[in-house]
Amino acid sequence: MELSCEGCGATLTVDAAVRTAVCPYCASPSVVERPAGRDRPSPTFTVGFVLPKEGARAAVKLWLASRSIFSQSGVKTATIDNIKGVYVPAYLYTAISKAEYQAEIGENYQETETYTTTDSQGRVQTHTRVVTKTEYRTLQGEHASYINDVLVTASRGIANDELELIEPFDLRALRRYSPALISGWIAEEPTMTLEECIQLARGEALGKLGAMLHDFMPGDSHHNLQYRTRLEHETADLVHVPVWVLAVRHDPKKPLIRVLVNGQSGRVLGKAPLSWIKITLTVLAILGVVAAAVLVVSWLSEAQEPPRRGAPPPPKARGR
Amino acid sequence: MVAPAEQIQPVCRRCRSPVEQDDLRCAICGFATPATGGAQPRAIASILRCDGCGAAVSYSAEAQAPRCGFCASVMRVQQPTDPVEQADWILPFAVSPDQAQEILRVWMKTLGFFRPSDLAGTATVQSLQPIWWAGWIVDAKALLSWAADSDAGSWRSSWAPHSGQSQLEFTRLLVPASRGLSLAECHTLTPHFNVAGASRQPQGPPGAIVEQFDVQRSAARKIIVDAIQATAAHRLQQGTIPGSHFRNVHVAVLLQALTTHRVAVPTYVLAYRYRGKLFRALVHGQDVRCVFGQAPYSIVKIVLVILGALAAVALAIAIFALAAAR
Repeated sequence: MELSCEGCGATLTVDAAVRTAVCPYCASPSVVERPAGRDRPSPTFTVGFVLPKEGARAAVKLWLASRSIFSQSGVKTATIDNIKGVYVPAYLYTAISKAEYQAEIGENYQETETYTTTDSQGRVQTHTRVVTKTEYRTLQGEHASYINDVLVTASRGIANDELELIEPFDLRALRRYSPALISGWIAEEPTMTLEECIQLARGEALGKLGAMLHDFMPGDSHHNLQYRTRLEHETADLVHVPVWVLAVRHDPKKPLIRVLVNGQSGRVLGKAPLSWIKITLTVLAILGVVAAAVLVVSWLSEAQEPPRRGAPPPPKARGR
Repeated sequence: MVAPAEQIQPVCRRCRSPVEQDDLRCAICGFATPATGGAQPRAIASILRCDGCGAAVSYSAEAQAPRCGFCASVMRVQQPTDPVEQADWILPFAVSPDQAQEILRVWMKTLGFFRPSDLAGTATVQSLQPIWWAGWIVDAKALLSWAADSDAGSWRSSWAPHSGQSQLEFTRLLVPASRGLSLAECHTLTPHFNVAGASRQPQGPPGAIVEQFDVQRSAARKIIVDAIQATAAHRLQQGTIPGSHFRNVHVAVLLQALTTHRVAVPTYVLAYRYRGKLFRALVHGQDVRCVFGQAPYSIVKIVLVILGALAAVALAIAIFALAAAR
């Protein structure tokens, strides 16, 4: 899509998947405002960046330094090739959940029972002991509650499980969307359909509800919890969340490592590649040590083994 | 108590709870409040200009606001406010300072045998401070889903599981927000207030102070919802859940139309001295029957009782031994 720069009039080529652009001629940051559609609604909220670029760099340096010894060599001292602050589109989902559940509730009780033992001289003795037993009873019921603050990605660039791993975002810092909040930063438009995002959100909401229902059950224990849920009055508001995306180079011949940093809390997510040579050598070394230990123990036990009691004496040599 | 006409507030479209003017989402159900402004008819690329020098403005993570890179001026944007709220209703004092002192003396005489006999006569009141402590008056409707163990219908175990759903209405529920008084003290005082008499003007003895709210709005709403949950669990055990003994009472609350008023609640805080030591007591500002606090014990009486008990045991042993010897 081509738009005109408000600053110098030059033509700006804007990727359909982003909401911001920087003019290559006058370096003015522009914010693109598009007509809203079903899968690309106008943003409702923004969580602003709190962590500056230097803070994100420092967090990633610390994260790299704390990688395990099995990471590929160079990971701990890797260099940051690229760092970009991205407003990632996500949906903030809320709903009213109404569930019908059934579970087997275990209620403990104690009983005194008698048992017999036989001592070393063959005498049978009777004792009593208190044992805890459980009786199970079926419980059916209904549960209604609000499901709030379910955040799911709307970007194909950052998967939902990745977003979950850098959550939480402090939603008290939520601001109503304003172009001023994303000006000068990369702000992505939703690249997933609303339906896909709603499905993700419903999955998370049902997961939350499942955990709530497990905590809701009375009794000393429960099993076979089954529930049927209706999600009503669902809402999904488009929100931009701040994420630092870094490209880290640990070996010029190998692909870059992508690291994500929560632009608010500084939580880091990345996958440092493991060195299979280091792992194999360590496993072999451990196996070698174990084998050596087994050999030493067996050699020592053979060397100290006394002659067997009752074993027949070695046959005497008969003289011819 | 009638809400004044200027207090007509927008309400959440989902749960009907009032939302403040600067709320972005409903604090109860998370529903987004509508924004003002129309839809965008076509795609445009716009530059935000600095009001000071006219240069393009970018959002700054350091300033947490849009900032001009040339003149460093920071633009104001609509931010979620999380203010510390102040009382808008005040409950009047119905007990005078003289009555409070008198009630304290009466209370001292009713503390029991192990307190000093001369406590009421010897103790001197060092300070008597009428205060209005901070709280909220809450009205709400709620659909409660509950599950609990009770003794009703139990078999071999003493407990049987039960569940249900009930509609409850909370009217004039007083929730403490005080930092000066402990939560336990507030809960002891709370049931004795007549919240219907709240007014805008303070009515109390001279020198009475109003405790400032020290809780931000976001924290306040959590305290209120937790208080409703605790109250709901308590109420359900008084007739809704079958049985007389309960455990594992779990309640899920679906709140609707929750309204709160910040309220200042009257109480006397007294400090009295007895034999050089200071003790603290509270007298309810509206109900003379509610007095409680710290009080000394009589060590002499306690020692005498222990010695008496030991002597009685020794005497009993002696009589028993004598009887056995015969």
